[in-house]
Amino acid sequence: MSVRIGVFVCHCGTNIGGTVHVPEVVAYAATLPDVVHAEGNLYTCSEDGLSSIRNQIKEHRLNRVVVASCTPRTHEPLFKKNCELAGLNKYLFEFVNLREHCAWVHMNQQEDATEKAKDLVRMGVAKASLLTPEEDLSTEVLPSSLVIGGGISGLSAALTLAHQGYHVELLEKSDRLGGLLKDVNRVFPTNTPTADLITPLIDSALQHPNIAVHFKAELVEIKGFIGNFTASVKVNNETLDLNTGTIIVAIGAVEFKPDGMFEYGRFANVMTQLDFEKRYPSGCTGLKRVVMVNCVGARIDDTPYCGRFCCITAMKNATLLKEADPEAEVTVLHRDIMAFGKVFEAYYQKALRMGVRFIRYSADRPPEIIGSRGRAGSVRIYHELMGRDLELDADAVILTTPLVPAGDNEALSRMMKIPIGNEGFFMEAHQKLRPVEFPADGIYIAGCARFPAEIAECIAQGYAAAAKAAAPMSRGRVVTEALVSEVNPLLCSGCGRCLGICPFGAIDWTELRVGPERTRQVAAVNPTECKGCGLCAASCLSGAIQIKGFTDEEILAMVNAAAG
Amino acid sequence: MTQKAALVIGGGIAGMQASIDLANMGIKVYLVEKKPSIGGRMAQLDKTFPTNDCAMCILAPKMIECANHENVELLTYSELAELTGSAGDFTARIIRKARFIDEERCVGCGECIEGCPITVTDEFNAGLGKRKAVYKYFPQAVPSTFAIDRRGTAPCKAACPAHISVQGYVALVAQGRFQEALKLIKEENPLPAICGRVCHHPCESVCTRGQVDEPVAIDFIKRFVADLDLNSETRYLPQIKEEKEEKIAVVGGGPAGLSCAYYLARDGYPVTIFEKLPITGGMLSVGIPEYRLPKETINAEIQVIRDMGVEIRTGVNMGTDITIAQLRDQGYRAFFLAIGAHECKRLHIEGEDLEGVYPGVDFLREVNLGKEVALGDRIAVIGGGNVAMDTVRTARRLGAAAPFIVYRRSLEEMPANEEEIEECREEGIPIYPLTHPTRIIGENNRVKAVECLRMRLGEPDESGRRRPIPIEGSQFVMEVDGVIPAIGQESDWSCLGPECACTLSGWGTMNVDPLTLQTDDPDIFAGGDAVTGPKTVIEAIEAGKQAAVSIDRFIRGVDLREGRAKTWEPVKNIPTAGHVPVSRTPMPRLAPEIRVNSFREVQLGFSEEQAVAEAGRCISCGICSECYTCAQACKAQAVDFDQKDREITVNVGAVVLATGFDLYNVAPLMEYGWGRIKNVLTAMQFERMICASGPTTGHLKRPSDGKEPRRLGFIQCVGSRDVRHMKYCSAVCCMHATKEAILAREHCPELTSTIFYMDMRAVGKGFQEYVRRAKGQYQVEYIRARPGKVTVNEENQNPVIHYEDTVNREFRAREFDMVILSQALIPTESNISIAEKLGVALDEFGFFAIPEELANPFGTSREGVFGCGFCQSPMDVPDSVIRASAAASKAAEVLA
Repeated sequence: MSVRIGVFVCHCGTNIGGTVHVPEVVAYAATLPDVVHAEGNLYTCSEDGLSSIRNQIKEHRLNRVVVASCTPRTHEPLFKKNCELAGLNKYLFEFVNLREHCAWVHMNQQEDATEKAKDLVRMGVAKASLLTPEEDLSTEVLPSSLVIGGGISGLSAALTLAHQGYHVELLEKSDRLGGLLKDVNRVFPTNTPTADLITPLIDSALQHPNIAVHFKAELVEIKGFIGNFTASVKVNNETLDLNTGTIIVAIGAVEFKPDGMFEYGRFANVMTQLDFEKRYPSGCTGLKRVVMVNCVGARIDDTPYCGRFCCITAMKNATLLKEADPEAEVTVLHRDIMAFGKVFEAYYQKALRMGVRFIRYSADRPPEIIGSRGRAGSVRIYHELMGRDLELDADAVILTTPLVPAGDNEALSRMMKIPIGNEGFFMEAHQKLRPVEFPADGIYIAGCARFPAEIAECIAQGYAAAAKAAAPMSRGRVVTEALVSEVNPLLCSGCGRCLGICPFGAIDWTELRVGPERTRQVAAVNPTECKGCGLCAASCLSGAIQIKGFTDEEILAMVNAAAG
Repeated sequence: MTQKAALVIGGGIAGMQASIDLANMGIKVYLVEKKPSIGGRMAQLDKTFPTNDCAMCILAPKMIECANHENVELLTYSELAELTGSAGDFTARIIRKARFIDEERCVGCGECIEGCPITVTDEFNAGLGKRKAVYKYFPQAVPSTFAIDRRGTAPCKAACPAHISVQGYVALVAQGRFQEALKLIKEENPLPAICGRVCHHPCESVCTRGQVDEPVAIDFIKRFVADLDLNSETRYLPQIKEEKEEKIAVVGGGPAGLSCAYYLARDGYPVTIFEKLPITGGMLSVGIPEYRLPKETINAEIQVIRDMGVEIRTGVNMGTDITIAQLRDQGYRAFFLAIGAHECKRLHIEGEDLEGVYPGVDFLREVNLGKEVALGDRIAVIGGGNVAMDTVRTARRLGAAAPFIVYRRSLEEMPANEEEIEECREEGIPIYPLTHPTRIIGENNRVKAVECLRMRLGEPDESGRRRPIPIEGSQFVMEVDGVIPAIGQESDWSCLGPECACTLSGWGTMNVDPLTLQTDDPDIFAGGDAVTGPKTVIEAIEAGKQAAVSIDRFIRGVDLREGRAKTWEPVKNIPTAGHVPVSRTPMPRLAPEIRVNSFREVQLGFSEEQAVAEAGRCISCGICSECYTCAQACKAQAVDFDQKDREITVNVGAVVLATGFDLYNVAPLMEYGWGRIKNVLTAMQFERMICASGPTTGHLKRPSDGKEPRRLGFIQCVGSRDVRHMKYCSAVCCMHATKEAILAREHCPELTSTIFYMDMRAVGKGFQEYVRRAKGQYQVEYIRARPGKVTVNEENQNPVIHYEDTVNREFRAREFDMVILSQALIPTESNISIAEKLGVALDEFGFFAIPEELANPFGTSREGVFGCGFCQSPMDVPDSVIRASAAASKAAEVLA
């Protein structure tokens, strides 16, 4: 069937019409090859314009539609849907931007803008004639999720998914649920026992019919993609294959052990906050003089980030010490008090009111731990406001250290093709707006594996990741646009550049038969994982990769039309 | 039954994210946003920390995703009215506020804004820029629908009997758009030059400007515009609609008749006016003296009506020269009786028929018709209305040396226009209030004296004025040469024949339906003084206009009443703060010594400059002026001034609150000088300034002189962490200031910034690195100090920050080109009403309270209602987004 193109040029009121002489562009469009109909519309996106497109598709048996108006960002879905309403495959629609790309940027050059509009329309028409009909891609999604990590984040994610009716495979590498919080006595800002918070969650998870908990589970391999992942898990020397539609990574982080810093490991009474909680689980310490040093191993060249809630941890243990013994002298040496927000600022004020002493130190003049015979006796600190050194007696020195990435991150990253950032934590798809997603579909991140987060934040991230995972599972399938890349295996040289470049892990090796007995490795794109970004096509030295809707032929046709 | 739908309140980043997540889980979402667009606070940001992503570039796709989602129903410009039911099965009532632009029709092209004469402070630009009353909230708004900022009908328009869009034409005049102003006036009043001279202008009595200083001189502005048109080469003629065949007769060529003829002619009807007197204009011509309303002006405005095709036959006595029956036979299909009230009421006292007693309107008519009237020197004019004033001043001009007014009530009760009373005084004419004539004393059948009683005021009567009560024994006699009673007029109904089925009231006025002005005879309509008794010109004009509407409907056979009963509620509680008093422009007048000897017009009219300046005093009570320029410009016909607030009801299983934050008003923190020192801005103002789509298109300009600043000083925790204001930490300001300092340096490579802070709370992912880059790469200086005050160097308007250097323990003062205050971020005010409607608790600051801080950080005090983002606690964008998704999960649990 011959190509029959309709061109619709929008005035957009005066937005385009005030600069570009639309009737001239319409008349010009009508003269282009394969164009059987061209018209101008006051607003192509209004119901008048849309119905006109539908009518012309029928009347002129149009099999390609070009709209020259504003931006595909806002209006492409509208026009594509409109084509479908008139029975035309939506991939046979082409958008030309005469507003942002022409009228708005050439507001004072009406003649030139009109000429440029003609060029743009000519290019659009050239491409449109080469468009081919396509079908959206659809993949089934299993209604189950693999949650890796049984800490507060993983528990939260698992529980909400289970409550929503999805099956959860919960992997825990130790023999207990609860993660890092198992070693924490009390939680801020309520100072209630951790067990009050965590035990009900653990019990629910263990009892929930939708949750299968795997203790002492070791993840060996993950295959597949959104909708149907297969995880090989070793439990007690037995390997299980778990099939799930989505994955939530919640493997947490570990407390930094400041070996060699501030006499840690040398003096018995110098400990980290977590050490302190383990050593004095009852909280009634009998310690009379305690000095805490914040930012140990944080905000320094090796670990430049701030641990986010270390200050609050220090305040918690300081206030607990004061509660146990109001006479106790508790001093917190800090650089900045990171009591951000509403709750923590109030918590800080409470600590001040209780008589916890806060003294600021500068990173240039860090505190010095003084002691003998394996015990710290005092801490020397330069007091900025007083302008002199102070020596504080100490029965115990507690070092406040940040969380650092767990050792498993690297292995998991390689296994699942999920990225890790500079600090060693997992890197989300977008720091602002996609904080619990990975670039690849179907895999999500929650909790301290992403970055240190306090309890409420971990719970929130668990729930948030669950929301992301629930979306494809609720529909039972994912539908993606057909504009993905394709490898021509005959042209592929098997160099593997594209595999390394694809940010979504959508390209893998496949065997190509090249003789009766011989095969060779070539790249293959999984269309469900592909986002159509085009990095692979641009990097392919053999010209083996094309993106549907943006093939070399189509792009070159536009280039030729522009140059011609 | 559990409803598989959710309600999200607030369309900022958190609300959008919660909506998208819920929608992606297959749940129907109603997203309620009070502003005209979704996008929230993030839309105001230029960039976002710590990646310096362009805020709009990452936000716009979210907005579009949200709006285009098949499961999301966007309810912008809407507010929750009520929530009933319980978790799983709530019923929400939602008010969709009228935006006066049809969302379905508006394509967002922006043609409407061009002509809008109203500019208001642009809240989206944090008050740094201006926008029109018809506006899109911001360029990338979703929906891209415009809205009209309309507080309601301005008091002037509501008070005007003809409901002219007063604020509209005043606004147009302020912009020098005189012809548009005239057209707008003539939509409601065909005689503006006349009204501009003699109207009693109730619009001015209610003018809100009067609360600041004095009312706007609305009437004089109108006169200026009308005179300009009458004096132009081609006068404005309205577009005549398609010509019609049905002939209409108007009886009486006064303001009511002329008005009716004008509007019927505009509708395309052939109209004939039958006037008894030899000249047209009715009372305008024969009741009002030349020095107030020149014949030239009357004739010019009448000529416009003639030019529209109206035939005027003068000297025709209806009822004798021709009858209504005859006109019916001639094919006249409808009649408008507007015969006025030209018969003077009698005093009913002894001596009324003596020589030298002239009824007031008769006297004025004779004079106006050019007849000689011989008067003596001492003339007593009885009455306190405009006719009395006109009469006494006319008498003065005819040579009476000592005319005066006798009025039975006090000056306060006088119904005459204040100006007339004032001009009367200027002309040396005495007014004797609380004086009641009881007898006219004659000699040789000629007036010699008037006997009067002194009065005092009692309780108010049915007219609302205090009733005069005679003081016993207070009789006295005034020697006079003549007496002119001017106490009211009535109509002469000899025009009616037996063929007319209409009826009169006991007062001698015509009985009509007050809404349609139809009499008991269906093809006869009546209005003006003939129906109301003596009233004002503008009321007569309105009657004529309404009669024209009725007659057109009568001819077309459509319902006369439908859609016409309208109440005009003026807008209330108009803020007047911030308007600097500017006195009302006085009307230039002819000197009293000249005018007492001539009939030259006393009021000389405004010059163009005076009219424009006076119009500029309007404070735009309604915000939108109802000038309808936008409606005319809109090619998509989307402007709908009749749009009303609508209410919809939806059933949902769960509710997610995401109302975001407001900016703390820093004006009360006097020590920092915001609002007093020009170059002290808030962080949001600076954000808008640095944004390419902001009021300075991204150029850094000092408000005082427009110069690019070289040194910026940021003061942190302004209103935050402060027991006098907000005790909490606003959570984002440290990074926000760091970002602004970085961006400022990117804009101007020589610029340096200093940030005064208490703790640098860089706690998020990548934040420490961001601060390091700010210090290293962007030369941002961080000083730990809480500045005590900001003063100004008067010479260059540079703000000076006073602080204590905590390292050296010295007090210092540092001068900057601009100072930026990191103002506290506070819960939105609407939380209070939302909390009330939802029955959820707020915390001490007005955030939605979280009863179980740890176990359920997204909960509220009501089951099935969840919160996320800043409305629960200060947090940055990623945290808000996480909480939003989490709240969506929570809501989904309820709906599962």
